[in-house]
Amino acid sequence: MADLALAPELVVPIARPAPDYNEAVVKKFIIAAVFWAIVAFLVGVYLATELAWPQFNLGLSYVNFGRLRPVHTSAGIFAFGGSMLFGTSFYVVQRTCRTRLFGGEALANFVFWGYQFFIVMAALSYVMGYSKSQEYAEPQWHIDLWLTIVWVAYAVIFIGTLMKREEPHIYVANWFYLAFILTVAVLHIGNNLVVPISVFSSQGYSMASGVQNAMIQWWYGHNAVGFFLTAGFLGMMYYFIPKAANRPIYSYRLSVVHFWSLVFLYIWAGPHHLHWTALPDWTQTLGMAFSIMLWMPSWGGMINGLMTLSGAWDKLRTDPGLRFSVTAVGFYGMATFEGPVMSIRDVNALSHYTDWGIGHVHSGVLGWVAFISFGALYYLVPVLWKRGGLYSARLASWHYWIATLGIVFYITSMWVAGIMQGLMWRAYDAFGFLQYSFAESVVAVHPYYVIRLMGGLMFLIGALIMVYNLYQTVHSKSTEPRLVLPAGLAVAGG
Amino acid sequence: MDLDPSDLIVGLLMAAFGITGLILASGAMDNEMYVFGLSLFGFAGLFEFGLIRRHFDRLDAVGAESRRHG
Repeated sequence: MADLALAPELVVPIARPAPDYNEAVVKKFIIAAVFWAIVAFLVGVYLATELAWPQFNLGLSYVNFGRLRPVHTSAGIFAFGGSMLFGTSFYVVQRTCRTRLFGGEALANFVFWGYQFFIVMAALSYVMGYSKSQEYAEPQWHIDLWLTIVWVAYAVIFIGTLMKREEPHIYVANWFYLAFILTVAVLHIGNNLVVPISVFSSQGYSMASGVQNAMIQWWYGHNAVGFFLTAGFLGMMYYFIPKAANRPIYSYRLSVVHFWSLVFLYIWAGPHHLHWTALPDWTQTLGMAFSIMLWMPSWGGMINGLMTLSGAWDKLRTDPGLRFSVTAVGFYGMATFEGPVMSIRDVNALSHYTDWGIGHVHSGVLGWVAFISFGALYYLVPVLWKRGGLYSARLASWHYWIATLGIVFYITSMWVAGIMQGLMWRAYDAFGFLQYSFAESVVAVHPYYVIRLMGGLMFLIGALIMVYNLYQTVHSKSTEPRLVLPAGLAVAGG
Repeated sequence: MDLDPSDLIVGLLMAAFGITGLILASGAMDNEMYVFGLSLFGFAGLFEFGLIRRHFDRLDAVGAESRRHG
């Protein structure tokens, strides 16, 4: 029988037919993400208008800043960002594991509609004036409980799909998605342990109080940034940049080092949100030290993402989606440098409670999270709806430049406003009295609030251009896929 | 056509959620719980309708396919 064995170089891999992937749920999440992106940006622009001209509160409690602000952050992070993460993770895990989603169509639909129900219920509760008053964890206990149920179903689908994979290797993007799913579950449950006053009441008491509550809140809050807004979107980066560039990852080994160092270091950084508070000094120093160390894995990941384009940089001229993704990685590098700097206790003494923080957050969420999502959307929509290509590369290019300029307006105005606020609040005269009243600092930042509004408006306009472009990509005749004829066949001109 | 176990499990769970929503709304001590309870009931009802509709759509598709092939 030995003569039947083939030499390894003669073995040709047999192309296996692609499984029947569940793309319907991915499409639903993509549509939802685009919808929530517009909602988040629109509410953000309205809030920026309220901050510049408070008359826009209109005397209505439903639209005042305190109630609309969590609507904006939740719509941006959980609705837009979350829908992108759910959708792309379902897309990526199926393709890299070469298997259909675990759990059947009904479970996937439950995750989609259950998550949308959570978003609507949370937003409605904020507008009605119900809030736990913990940043990014505002929903009351019963809405948190609902999210936990949906999240468990999501984890079952994702882990189940990994377990029944038909590829031996688990691709690194899935590692990042899995870290996001598992850690967010732990954070969400840990930070939202509440004893309700009655099962029929939305009100309850937090299990922790005082500085312990603050510590747990910022362990949650910072890792919401680390695992929701970073690890999950890094999964997106590690799949969509190599696909769009048609290049392998620059260094797979670096991606693994990036993963383990990032997940180990991020979880300790939360206390830097509580500098100069009742939190013990050693805890503050611990948070600061880990935040500074975090710079290294972040930049390792950035370098890996950027260097993946080695030999394919020319694609940036022709592929606006890839341009978004690569610029996103640049913003990721910038925001993950700025963050450690701001975590240094003495820098924080100037920056904390000022608009510098708002500028920092928006360079991350607009530049990194939204841009990497736009890159994925421009790649995914033609693929999912089986179109020949994007409706208009020129419109995508317009989107890119308008949005980039919008971010620049936004973050530079907030830097200037923030540093000015910090300096004004700490200035004192020869007699030891504060030199400026708080109201004077509010008046001083007004022009920068107007510039911020313009930046946000530009970002919204760019996103509306994207919506039109994606709609036309799905519906226009010009993007219908063309049949490829075998070589030698010609079609008579009509 | 056999019932998909995923449909059955999710369908039963949603029925339980819907009833829970009604109970929460009936005893609600504040507006938030009242709105949430009723919304959960409505959401569960619509989801069940979707499950049933998709089940019969699949049955129709199988029937049409078998008629096409004689």
